[in-house]
Amino acid sequence: MDSQTLRVGIDIGGTFTDFVLYNPSNREIQTHKVLSTPDDPSRAVLQGLKRLIPSSNVDKVSIVHGSTVATNALLERKGAPTALITTRGFADILQIGRQNRPALYDLFADPRPALVPPAFRFEVTERVNSAGEILIPLDDSEIEELILTISALDVRSVAVCLLFSFLHPSHEQRIGDRFRKAGFLVSLSSEIVPEFREYERTSTTVVNAYVSPIMDHYLHGLTSGLPRGYDLRVMQSNGGSISPQEARQKAVTCILSGPAGGIVGCQYMGHQVHGSESTIAPENGNEPFCENDIVRFLTFDMGGTSTDVSLIDGQPRITTESTISDCPIKIPVLDIHTIGAGGGSLASVDAGGALRVGPSSAGAVPGPACYGKGLLPTVTDANLVLGRLQPEFFLGGTMPLDYSRACNSMETIANQLGLSIEEAALGIVSIANAHMERALRVISVEQGQDPRDYTLLSFGGAGGLHASDLARGLGIQTILVPLFASTLSAFGMLTADIIKDYAITVLLPEDTPVRVLEERLSILADQGFRALISEGMSPDNILIQRSVDMRYQGQSYEMNTPFSSSLRQGFIEKHSAEYGYAKDTTPIEFVTLRVRAVGKIPSLPSRPLPLQSPDPAHARIDERKVRFSQEWSSTPLYRSELLTPGNVIPGPAILIRPDTTILIDPNDIARVDPFGNITIKVGL
Amino acid sequence: MTYDPIKLEIFKHLFAAIADEMGTLLRKSSYSPNIKERRDFSCAIFDSSGRLISQAAHIPVHLGAMPLAVTAIQQHFKTDLHPGDVVILNDPFRGGTHLPDITLVSPVYLSPNNDLSTPPVLIGYAASRAHHADIGGIAPGSMPLANEIFQEGLIIPPVKLVRSGDIDRGILDLILANVRTPHERHGDLLAQLAANRRGAARLQELFQRYGSTETNEASTALLAYTERMTRHLLGNLPDGSYSFSDYLDDDGFSPQPVKLMVTITIAGETATVDFTGSAPQVKGSMNAVYAITLSAVYYTFRCLLGLDVPNNAGCLAPIQVIAPPASITNALHPAPVAGGNVETSQRLVDVLLGALAQACPSLIPAASQGTMNNITIGGALPQNALALKSGLAVGTQFAYYETLAGGTGARPTANGGSGVHSHMTNTLNTPVEALEYAYPLRVRKYALRINSGGNGLFHGGDGIIRELEVLTDCQLTLLTDRRRIPPYGVNGGEPGKCGINILLRNNKESQLPSKGTVDLQAGDIISIQTPGGGGWGRKPD
Repeated sequence: MDSQTLRVGIDIGGTFTDFVLYNPSNREIQTHKVLSTPDDPSRAVLQGLKRLIPSSNVDKVSIVHGSTVATNALLERKGAPTALITTRGFADILQIGRQNRPALYDLFADPRPALVPPAFRFEVTERVNSAGEILIPLDDSEIEELILTISALDVRSVAVCLLFSFLHPSHEQRIGDRFRKAGFLVSLSSEIVPEFREYERTSTTVVNAYVSPIMDHYLHGLTSGLPRGYDLRVMQSNGGSISPQEARQKAVTCILSGPAGGIVGCQYMGHQVHGSESTIAPENGNEPFCENDIVRFLTFDMGGTSTDVSLIDGQPRITTESTISDCPIKIPVLDIHTIGAGGGSLASVDAGGALRVGPSSAGAVPGPACYGKGLLPTVTDANLVLGRLQPEFFLGGTMPLDYSRACNSMETIANQLGLSIEEAALGIVSIANAHMERALRVISVEQGQDPRDYTLLSFGGAGGLHASDLARGLGIQTILVPLFASTLSAFGMLTADIIKDYAITVLLPEDTPVRVLEERLSILADQGFRALISEGMSPDNILIQRSVDMRYQGQSYEMNTPFSSSLRQGFIEKHSAEYGYAKDTTPIEFVTLRVRAVGKIPSLPSRPLPLQSPDPAHARIDERKVRFSQEWSSTPLYRSELLTPGNVIPGPAILIRPDTTILIDPNDIARVDPFGNITIKVGL
Repeated sequence: MTYDPIKLEIFKHLFAAIADEMGTLLRKSSYSPNIKERRDFSCAIFDSSGRLISQAAHIPVHLGAMPLAVTAIQQHFKTDLHPGDVVILNDPFRGGTHLPDITLVSPVYLSPNNDLSTPPVLIGYAASRAHHADIGGIAPGSMPLANEIFQEGLIIPPVKLVRSGDIDRGILDLILANVRTPHERHGDLLAQLAANRRGAARLQELFQRYGSTETNEASTALLAYTERMTRHLLGNLPDGSYSFSDYLDDDGFSPQPVKLMVTITIAGETATVDFTGSAPQVKGSMNAVYAITLSAVYYTFRCLLGLDVPNNAGCLAPIQVIAPPASITNALHPAPVAGGNVETSQRLVDVLLGALAQACPSLIPAASQGTMNNITIGGALPQNALALKSGLAVGTQFAYYETLAGGTGARPTANGGSGVHSHMTNTLNTPVEALEYAYPLRVRKYALRINSGGNGLFHGGDGIIRELEVLTDCQLTLLTDRRRIPPYGVNGGEPGKCGINILLRNNKESQLPSKGTVDLQAGDIISIQTPGGGGWGRKPD
């Protein structure tokens, strides 16, 4: 990418399509929002680009784009009709899955039907064993018969998943070659996810076959609509981007790209805040985020219907165990934990007399009672009743909230519980907080991490009202609310590296010479290196990360450990840290080798502003009564856009932004950093 | 209203999170596929008087049974429990269920007001129970065709595996010397200990954060809450007495079917569940101990309660369970019990549902497969497998255990589920590729058994077919049911198909019994075809 190229990150959401543009010539960052166009999302993208970049004065634009096209196709079951080919005897694996039922105590719950119905599932005679040896060779004539059979169906996309194909891919490859020649789009499990455990591999391969044609169609439309000189890349769920050519064939890697963009954005915020320590005047009381140089965030993205949380310990955590819409997806994705609690979560009283919040939500329609349509109380209504949300400033004043409707909705609950309206509202907020605190504990405490070592990074529309209470509950001392909170995902796409993940299951014993592992890893690394070069990366900007999934022999769950000459030591240390025990003498085994090839994208230069007076009086617009957890306090309101770097705002206070409201507890102190971010020091 | 409805909800999460976290840790850090891949375990926490406060949603058959483990150690040790102790047990007649289920209970202590100079007091218990793939006895997998419990494996009465933080090597060595796969047992026990430690630490943190008065009040309030929910449910069922009976195929020794009978009497907000009329305890291992019968009752009512109610002692408070001693539903020492846990428990649920279908027909499905199709294959690892592991061999024996899914009963509003586990178990299958890597076995087929579900307005779910070829001489133990008496349909729905166990040797097929141990030769193929679920309602013409 040359230094004069305009860079744009684009995130398509349900309501808005967000744009963040970086112009290297004046080092300025611009954000922009247009209404999404769900029938054809590319329309909003092209519209926004046209408005943002007047065509006359640019010739090179580099776009990274997070698309919900693949996600929605899967969630709404609107993917391409797909056929599946398996080893003879195993066509039903996709449906049987792991043979467990979705809910333990619900006699009526059913999983969603398999993506490929029985009539589209086919078998071929062939078999490879666990040593990678062929037991039954594949006969070409059977492939030809299958092509004839499948050609008679209304199917373009074919998934192939044969047993032990990761050890011996040639059978899948032969089927793939023939079907591709016959004009089918083919997803081979040995190409998509060459790892053991046949159900998860089949599911991942089938999802790819199911969503890729949709992505292909979408990206074709989008790229042909782009002016000349515009280069497009697509965001993946692993936090990096890939070329559109690759995305059209491996759309499964893009399924969770939106939230992944958010996490990459958080990571960028971390580097920005870190890099700026020297510019922060100590007399303003700003302290460095952590003692050492590691970015440690618990990210907290609270929206209307759900809340996403994740942990960044230097790097975001990666998982290969995600499940989306009942389909396991076994590729590396950023580990984001989602719970069904948000501003729109409904409160109710159950038959046992407990106050419940969620999991059902008022959604966009009818929305919280205070939006003017719904009748049932939500978390947002509770915040309004407590004075934490200000009715006339919601969404920059474009959507006034109805205080009396919120009170009326709360009254039903309060009467059932024998509480005042205010007590009921406080209860709803504390229970919502309990849900979210539990989610934050799952990703930190349960992984052996102490939340007190982390900064809570709050973004998303509803987070600013809850961050302080959550931080206190978890012993977190600092909260960061980034300036670009509502477009953080698009921001992340702007800064995302190109990332390609490779893996192969090897199942080798501990006494395997390190040389053998190195050789196998270097095959993957070469693949990654070449792929990045072919996308125009310079070798200097390529980073290769090697790791190994290991376990004690006999265990059936692996732990990913960075590759080194002392693999055993690394494994034992990690095992002790996460599980609280390790065995010194038991042999280990190497299960899956992994390589991540990263093409570094030049990071955005930061432009810290000089710190000015701590006095925020110029941004103060009013004073209101607000109910904090302890009592009602007279609380000044500030317009966040008017605050300047260096301002210090002691609690109680409310900072109002068009996209979010930030509640500063009476025990907390907020400051504006040189980038316009808000940091909050949490008092006990 | 006697307790703050807001705190109630908050503490519900706090307690549930502890049991969940224990479960996550146990699953991730355990050794054997049985715990890790199949998730055949449960974790729970109890208050200081031994009442179940929270149990993670793992395996229903452990539900009613876990509290009896805590009661057993309270009775056994009385005041002789101290900080850092961990008690191990598997004796079905003293807190256990069947021998492969090993339970570890950790009493949890804390110094009042965090004052380390005052002696710590008991604040509760953390417990984990896991199904170990082998615990010795006459057949690999420890679920043999036995006629007394001594043949089923090593019996562990409540003993301290850990004293004041130190593992008792003697006890551990004694256990490991009596099992076929000591290395695996050792790893799984360490994982259970780690899970208990984690649960204990979290319980201590909870008491430190909220204080013992508030935490104890909250746990009592949660018990009362679940009890109110159960009473509310019972109050909505029509008063009356509802009886139902069904038969197990046999006990493995005599061809005589074994009767299971229940009479549920609903009176206002209480219920009596009476198993009088069920068969006397049998010679084979289909005997359920009282804990198992309790679990089946617990599970059945828990299903009617709705999703989000905490699993605690309050659930059974308004329900009286009568199981006549020395009957199949309350077997006495030294009856063999391995199958009571996995088979009779499963069928007891169908019998309970059959009775409830008369009280609330719109909520109750037809019979599900009614068996867990337990298969165990074990023996000596072949030489080439040992060589493959190149001097790192961790044992010379293997024991593979698996339960197979089947069809579930059709519902009043929908077809039954196919190839899925029902009722008292929800264990995952062992992936074919994991299984073939670990054991000298090859899977030949794993498919739905089409048209095995019963016909009806809504049809029952289909069973499955799993075909395994053994690559070495070894022993197969079958513990299956519904091979003669099919899963019943409801309201005019037809029964599901019975299961079949087949041996294919030298291209000759023969039928295997529902229960028993068979010597297999390398190259033998066994095909297990599991039952379908019953249909619901008459099929329209």
